[in-house]
Amino acid sequence: MSSVLYDVPGPVARRRERIGSVIGAVVVLVLVGLAARYAADRGIFAADRWNVLYDPPKGQTAADVWQSMIVRGLGATLRAAVVAAPLALALGLLLALWRTARGRWVRLPAIMLIELFRGLPVLLMMLFGLLGFGWDAFTAVVFGLVVYNMAIIAEILRAGLASLPRGQAEAAYAVGLTRSQTLLTILLPQAVRTMLPSLIAQLVVLLKDSSLGFIVGYPELLKSIQNNAQYFGNETYIALFVVGAGIYLAVNLSLTRLAVWLERRTGRTSAPTPGPTAGTTDAVGSARVGGTFGTGTDR
Amino acid sequence: MVDPSSAAAVPPAGSRATGEPLVVLDGVNKHFGALHVLQDIDLTVHRGEVVVVIGPSGSGKSTLCRTINRLETIDSGTITIDGKPLPAEGKALARLRADVGMVFQSFNLFAHKTVLENVMLGPVKAKGVKRGEAKQQALALLERVGVANQADKLPAQLSGGQQQRVAIARALAMSPKVMLFDEPTSALDPEMINEVLDVMVSLAQDGMTMIVVTHEMGFARRAAHRVVFMDAGRVVEEAEPETFFTAPRSDRAQDFLSKILTH
Amino acid sequence: MDVIPDNLPAYLGGFRTTLSLTVVSGLIALAVGVLLAGLRVSPLTPLRALATTYVEVLRNTPLTLVFFFMAFVAPQFGLLAPLGYWTAVICLSAYTAAFVCEAVRSGINSVGMGQSEAARAIGLTFGQTLGLVVLPQAVRSVIPPLINVLIALAKNTSVAAGFAVVELTASGRRLALSNPADTLWALAGVALFYLLITIPAGLLAGVVERKVAFAR
Ligand SMILES: Nc1ncnc2c1ncn2[C@@H]1O[C@H](COP(=O)(O)OP(=O)(O)OP(=O)(O)O)[C@@H](O)[C@H]1O
Ligand SMILES: [Mg+2]
Repeated sequence: MSSVLYDVPGPVARRRERIGSVIGAVVVLVLVGLAARYAADRGIFAADRWNVLYDPPKGQTAADVWQSMIVRGLGATLRAAVVAAPLALALGLLLALWRTARGRWVRLPAIMLIELFRGLPVLLMMLFGLLGFGWDAFTAVVFGLVVYNMAIIAEILRAGLASLPRGQAEAAYAVGLTRSQTLLTILLPQAVRTMLPSLIAQLVVLLKDSSLGFIVGYPELLKSIQNNAQYFGNETYIALFVVGAGIYLAVNLSLTRLAVWLERRTGRTSAPTPGPTAGTTDAVGSARVGGTFGTGTDR
Repeated sequence: MVDPSSAAAVPPAGSRATGEPLVVLDGVNKHFGALHVLQDIDLTVHRGEVVVVIGPSGSGKSTLCRTINRLETIDSGTITIDGKPLPAEGKALARLRADVGMVFQSFNLFAHKTVLENVMLGPVKAKGVKRGEAKQQALALLERVGVANQADKLPAQLSGGQQQRVAIARALAMSPKVMLFDEPTSALDPEMINEVLDVMVSLAQDGMTMIVVTHEMGFARRAAHRVVFMDAGRVVEEAEPETFFTAPRSDRAQDFLSKILTH
Repeated sequence: MDVIPDNLPAYLGGFRTTLSLTVVSGLIALAVGVLLAGLRVSPLTPLRALATTYVEVLRNTPLTLVFFFMAFVAPQFGLLAPLGYWTAVICLSAYTAAFVCEAVRSGINSVGMGQSEAARAIGLTFGQTLGLVVLPQAVRSVIPPLINVLIALAKNTSVAAGFAVVELTASGRRLALSNPADTLWALAGVALFYLLITIPAGLLAGVVERKVAFAR
């Protein structure tokens, strides 16, 4: 197949690709091998580094360890995310609606709120909750996640509304719907549907950001890894970390798959397409929701 | 379709140019996965000849056109251009492509370059022509296709018809031996079709060898020496335009013509 | 209210560290990210697979986890990066490079197939097609998303506060703790400095984006 960059290869190019691939594979394998060898030399694969996962010392059972990580650690991570996500969605929706208000001065506060919260680190928002308002760690984490993500979600929805063909609103007015009826029953549902992949990608960001709880003293997954490692000895860090990273990857990759699948299924090419996931503080998300300072959707 | 008043100046349709073979396809086959898009295609186009390829959608016309400058590869058979087999890659292929002009349905002008730069790019970069010289030549070509006054605009600022004429000028700037046109007017609004067809007709009159995929029968009648009818990956019928349009031999051609003529 | 002017030096010190983390990590991430993008679009399968794995893993990993790895797990491998500034630079660059790669890759893919076909059709070689037609167009569409990646990086430097780097957020936390009566103001000062980076950069991205959209 040809691509933007490459012509369909001819015999020479194909031979070069084959040779390059073999060399590349050898280099990659050698690097992996060297890393494994290095690790083995330092006893990384020794049983006492890994038995914490199946036969932990100090009179604990494997069930205790897994329970502390999965039930308490992952549980706390998910609890924060599960509380924050609907709040962020609801508030983001409200902000998005507010942003479409007709008067310039009416929608200005919405614009300012969105730009303010988009421009600040989530961790700082959590510190506001924790130190500024004196809340407990859980509330502070949820607060940080909610205010940041509601701003991004409002932007995503705005982009979704802006991407709808003008005819949709005109047709709705033509059959006699009022402005708010049009917005709520015709435009918004379509915007949500078009932007569903972006919204899910944003949920992945939210979930990832819940790990900032580690820094503000919320006992989430990373904290439970640390606690276990401190209890069983630092040499167990690697095994515990592998489990923690595996959990994050499994959950986030599944959500990402879901977003990609949904995107394929809805098959809308007109909507701004999301990358599968965005960065901790939304590295790609803001890129895809269009200009930073829009002038409001004039509907 | 085409302004009949200008038809008088056209070479009598069917007077087959008698140059030596320039583009020769011999037993060409191509698959897209399970789909056999080109089936045992034999086609010879002579120097100075204008061949119109028509056929139903999906019959493989574009693919045929694109194999001639190897934008698509073939699975078997041979393609020779001016006596030399089509190179598979590298500099040789680039040189060959410089000799084969191509005009796309969607223009494909370089979006970041002005009209003038679009036309100059090939001569300067692929042929090493001096900039000053290339510019003179480019302006002359733009003049010839009637868009010289747009030379400093970006493609997006031009109408479709203007863009397509620039695309023709860009191809001509390489002084190609043969020009390929893949439905050059089917992305255009009706009122712009003629301005492009007129340029193509005048090219034909100047003796350019052309392979044109088009459904513009007016163009075929005015300028083509031969019509090639394709269906389902095969060349089903070849004839002079007049013969083909008035008395097609194959059932499939009759069927196809009856469909496009009733509109 | 007075905490902000009274502690301006502390804020400025933190701000300088945040800026420096952003610039240094940003430059490294740009270099590594472009390299990764090159691998990701290469026809050599093993290299493509390597880059794809790297990008997918880092994009689906929380940045905190990357810091956690460098701070607590890497020492177990005998990799003793000194905790602090350079560890933060490594983590932030490694993480951001994945996003740079994706921005660059989608910029390349946003150049239409027709553009390179037209370039090949007038006889340009691979290098000429790449350098004269594909990359100049890719660069345009890649700049706004890249600015946004860098904005995210500026905000992400705050994670370093949790790992012994006294940047803006950490300075703010210190000030908040030492001025219990004025915690909100102390933190608002921090917010102000972040907005000093993110809002102008966001405006810039918007302007560039509109320019690019117009040029199409
Ligand atoms: N890159 C490709 N991969 C797979 N199938 C393809 C590809 N390009 C074309 N085809 C298929 O090959 C067949 C012939 O395509 P081609 O574009 O040559 O037809 P055409 O005669 O030009 O049709 P049209 O009049 O619609 O342009 C079609 O069925 C098309 O779907
Ligand atoms: Mg076609």
